[in-house]
Amino acid sequence: MITELIEADPTLAHSVREVFGLLFPPQPLQTFLLELDAAGVDCAVLLPLDCTSAHGCRVVTNEQVAALVSQHPRFIGFASADPNLPDAVPTLRAAVRDLGLCGLHLDPALQRFQLNSRDRAYPLYEAACDLDIPVLVDCGMSWAPLGQTALAHPLALEQVIQDLPGLRLIIAGFAWPWFNEALLLALKHQNVYLDTSIVYSGTPADALRHVLASQIGLSVLERNLPQQVLFGSDYPRADIRRSVRGLRSLGLSPALEAAVLGGNALAVLPALRPALSAANPLAEPHIEAAQ
Amino acid sequence: MKSVIERLTLQSRCETELINITDTVRQFVARSGVQNGVVFVMSMHTTTGITVNEGLPDLEADIAAMLERLVPENQPYRHARWLHSDGQMAINAPSHLRGALLGFQVYFPIENGEMVTGARQTVYFVELDGPQHRHYVLQALGQ
Repeated sequence: MITELIEADPTLAHSVREVFGLLFPPQPLQTFLLELDAAGVDCAVLLPLDCTSAHGCRVVTNEQVAALVSQHPRFIGFASADPNLPDAVPTLRAAVRDLGLCGLHLDPALQRFQLNSRDRAYPLYEAACDLDIPVLVDCGMSWAPLGQTALAHPLALEQVIQDLPGLRLIIAGFAWPWFNEALLLALKHQNVYLDTSIVYSGTPADALRHVLASQIGLSVLERNLPQQVLFGSDYPRADIRRSVRGLRSLGLSPALEAAVLGGNALAVLPALRPALSAANPLAEPHIEAAQ
Repeated sequence: MKSVIERLTLQSRCETELINITDTVRQFVARSGVQNGVVFVMSMHTTTGITVNEGLPDLEADIAAMLERLVPENQPYRHARWLHSDGQMAINAPSHLRGALLGFQVYFPIENGEMVTGARQTVYFVELDGPQHRHYVLQALGQ
């Protein structure tokens, strides 16, 4: 968490600790930027979270994310909207139209909604299609103390994917421990992307090797999903430097590694391109998602 | 006996970095007014070190390389698990172990209001899990 945000918003420290469950002291924004440098990351996707109906708070607001994006060209901002609130769709539309945010972040375990709810979730998915923005869903284990993991099962997205073929859907963390279910969705649907922010035990290198190499098999990714795997770290749950090193230690083919570390994200999130050019015009893209 | 304490911060920029704080310590001693006694330099962290060596860039690089060689990144450390007290993964065992090798404090005598050091001795705050915003403490103790 960023010190400047905590200092400017007295309510944020409480929600970060009690709802999101992050107890590590905040660090200055400069430290986060240096962490990106040290990790070799050009652009970071910032994720707010609106938990108003479930927990009476927002763990970083759309406005706070937009302010950071406006200050630093290497940031891309996603929006959050609380599916349980009647103004969820207008909130999302305003965040995209007025604040310049370019994706939707959903955390069903913490926001407490059913991923396949026609009343609560579908209007947001439909708005995302209409706005032509991707939706990143925190699937699988929620480390937040108040998160209810049962709400984050990836198979709940299958009907959504079938109903809305234009939806660009990113399943975070390969939905661990339900990585096989997440995998089947991505194998079957080209508009489903999986990010590598797998956090459960060991270093990122350990976790990635166990899930992607030992359990799924790197050949499955190489053959079937060369355009559908995205790098992610689940920062601040795991540091970005070691997440990048873990990904690089897998032994992916150079083409797939480059795609995972940036090329695929550019395809799913075209808004990254100007940010990337501004941040590092000569570099190969390397993109990170951070909460 | 007089005791003067200052709490200072610095911003490291790299994962492993030797940051020269010698002048800061000398200036603190002068500011403290202690004429005869000792000055303690202590890091407030467990993934940093405080050490003394000759202030040369090649030695700084050699020390960093030695630490990485002695404590490799990829070993099956036990400290690679969810840390409930932080709400994040503890995946920095090498940083802790490198810090344990270096130690977290040094001291120097103060004589006639000045820090007593060897001519080539440089005081380093050693970042071992950077970049981070770090805290350290200086204490001058004496008459």
